[in-house]
Amino acid sequence: MTPALHVENLRVTSREGRVLLDVPLLTLDAGQSLALRGASGAGKSTLLHVLSGLVRPSAGRVVWGGQDIAALTEDARARFRRETLGLIFQDCHLFEELSALGNAGLASAFAPARDRAPIRLAAAQWLAALGLGQAGARAVDSFSGGERQRIAVARALAGGPPVILADEPTAALDRANADALGADLVRLAAEGGRMLITVTHDAALAARMGRQITIADGRIVEDSDA
Amino acid sequence: MLDLWASLPPELQDVLFALALIAPGLLAGAMVLRGLRPLPLVGAMLRRFVWVNALFVALIAVSVGLGVGLLAQERGLRQGSARAAEKFDLIVAAPGSEVTVMLAAVYLQPSDMALINGAQYAEIAGAEGVAFAAPIAFGDSFQGAPVVGTTVDFVSHLAGPLAEGRVFATAEEAVAGAYAPVDVGGSFTPAHGHGPAAEHDAHEGFAYAVTGRMAPTGSPWDRALLVPVEGVWAVHGLANGHAPGDPRIGPPFVPEMMPGTPAVLVHATELWGNYALKSRFTRGDLMAFFPGTVLAQLHGLMRDVRSAMSLMAVLTQVLVTLSVLIGLMIMVRLIARSLALLRAIGAPLRFVFAVVWAYSAALILSGAGLGLALGWVAARGISAIVTARIDVLVTANLGWPEAHLVAGFISLTLFMALLPAWLAVRRPLLTDLRT
Ligand SMILES: Nc1ncnc2c1ncn2[C@@H]1O[C@H](COP(=O)(O)OP(=O)(O)OP(=O)(O)O)[C@@H](O)[C@H]1O
Ligand SMILES: [Mg+2]
Repeated sequence: MTPALHVENLRVTSREGRVLLDVPLLTLDAGQSLALRGASGAGKSTLLHVLSGLVRPSAGRVVWGGQDIAALTEDARARFRRETLGLIFQDCHLFEELSALGNAGLASAFAPARDRAPIRLAAAQWLAALGLGQAGARAVDSFSGGERQRIAVARALAGGPPVILADEPTAALDRANADALGADLVRLAAEGGRMLITVTHDAALAARMGRQITIADGRIVEDSDA
Repeated sequence: MLDLWASLPPELQDVLFALALIAPGLLAGAMVLRGLRPLPLVGAMLRRFVWVNALFVALIAVSVGLGVGLLAQERGLRQGSARAAEKFDLIVAAPGSEVTVMLAAVYLQPSDMALINGAQYAEIAGAEGVAFAAPIAFGDSFQGAPVVGTTVDFVSHLAGPLAEGRVFATAEEAVAGAYAPVDVGGSFTPAHGHGPAAEHDAHEGFAYAVTGRMAPTGSPWDRALLVPVEGVWAVHGLANGHAPGDPRIGPPFVPEMMPGTPAVLVHATELWGNYALKSRFTRGDLMAFFPGTVLAQLHGLMRDVRSAMSLMAVLTQVLVTLSVLIGLMIMVRLIARSLALLRAIGAPLRFVFAVVWAYSAALILSGAGLGLALGWVAARGISAIVTARIDVLVTANLGWPEAHLVAGFISLTLFMALLPAWLAVRRPLLTDLRT
């Protein structure tokens, strides 16, 4: 079952007491796609971190498919991320000394034994689907920026997650690369029936999503579904 | 329990002790790594900072090598000096310092000594249970090699059958030690005394012909030239121990015609007979001792030095371990971003812990292994130098004490490596992810 997202009375406060995020209610259905927009420092990344359990909210609930992840232990949240989420970062965060395939299949290093082979197989398939099928054995430091981000996308998809969270996945790419990657991301998510949440400054990418939300000062100020 | 331990053969004790030392470290490792496969990632991280890692490994290797080399060297020296003294069952000399006599007679370190006279020698040689009593008359040299007057009995006792030629048969013949500076067929004129103070023209006009060469003994005697004791007396213008005109060499000597000898090696017909002979000749005008016992006492005296050395080796190791630990904590910062990524995409804390520990363990184990090899090479090299300098064959080999040292070091450091691993999983995930 693809978990639906239900966020309620969410507050994230900095150590100094500044409110970084204040979201009374946000719900998303399985398979939906969402663009998070807003000025720099608005709180988009912070929201994504809370949704993925990397940041514990100061108050409120972050419920994925009935489970409030704010109430989970650290290891349980890690397990939730491994099983449910595919994360894509702004700067792709690759292991420079591993091959493209090694990076795409990184989760096989710590996944339960029965999942390891399937993850590696899927990693190879996603690399092929993203146009890097021939280059799996090459060390990643020899890849271009666009190619590196594709490897990061393959890594996010390799575990077969029902949800993909991407933080400005095309920000470091030129127009053509950004468009191609954005199209791939949306297509692959839609094909798998995956939920896709993307932080982006890119209007073209945002327009590909089913729903757009704009955040300012930690608050949702605009919602295309509202 | 202690009785049971004492009843085990020493080799088994050594093996068990080594296992007991290394077990805690390996056990910790087994628990950390159980069910996980961090090695491919560890390999990638090791390659990433290959020079820093190489420096770490070198640091550990040098310290382990130092400890191992020191231990092996010290034991090699002890064994070598004991082996060199093995053939010297019982020495009788004029009363004085046993150590001085031992250094002079066994290790051929020259010194001025009072002499045993002909009557005393005759009494020793004629005592019941004496197989032979060989005079050891040192004092001359040739090109830095000691020239020692003695008997045929002593030559065959010391080195067994000759490697080449035959033993001396007249007072003008000599047998060379295995590495002595004169070849068989050659001849030499001894100088009076040793080293720079030697008087080279004192015995001019007299020459020994070398008729044979001894097999190596691993002692300073390998560089010596052995001549009939009659020759030594003759070149000094003294009576030669026999009636005038008597061309024989070797015992028996005529007491009145014997000028004296600084030391006598006594070989008993039966091993136990040595003790009776020792007590018999321990008296006012004579001194008798077992060089092996004196050497053991010397080694015993040096036990404190040895303990200090071992302590220093261990302390160095601990210091290096500490700096390695600090280095590892710095290293954790270098790999923090990679670790944060692993956690972000769902790696359990145990896995991240295992990655850091295995990373440290890889450095520690390769350092210790390299150190063992380094220690062995160093001990070999130093042994060769020592052997060349003191003419006592020193062979330093790796043994159980070194194995125990390294096993203990590995265990301790593998345990200490838990600390950086623990610190690594306590780092703030998001901060590391952003850097
Ligand atoms: N741990 C923290 N402590 C204090 N302030 C923080 C912390 N984390 C984030 N912030 C602040 O919260 C605000 C929102 O940060 P966030 O990274 O979510 O912005 P963003 O919308 O992703 O911006 P950008 O588009 O530049 O990435 C910023 O002002 C940032 O400085
Ligand atoms: Mg951001």
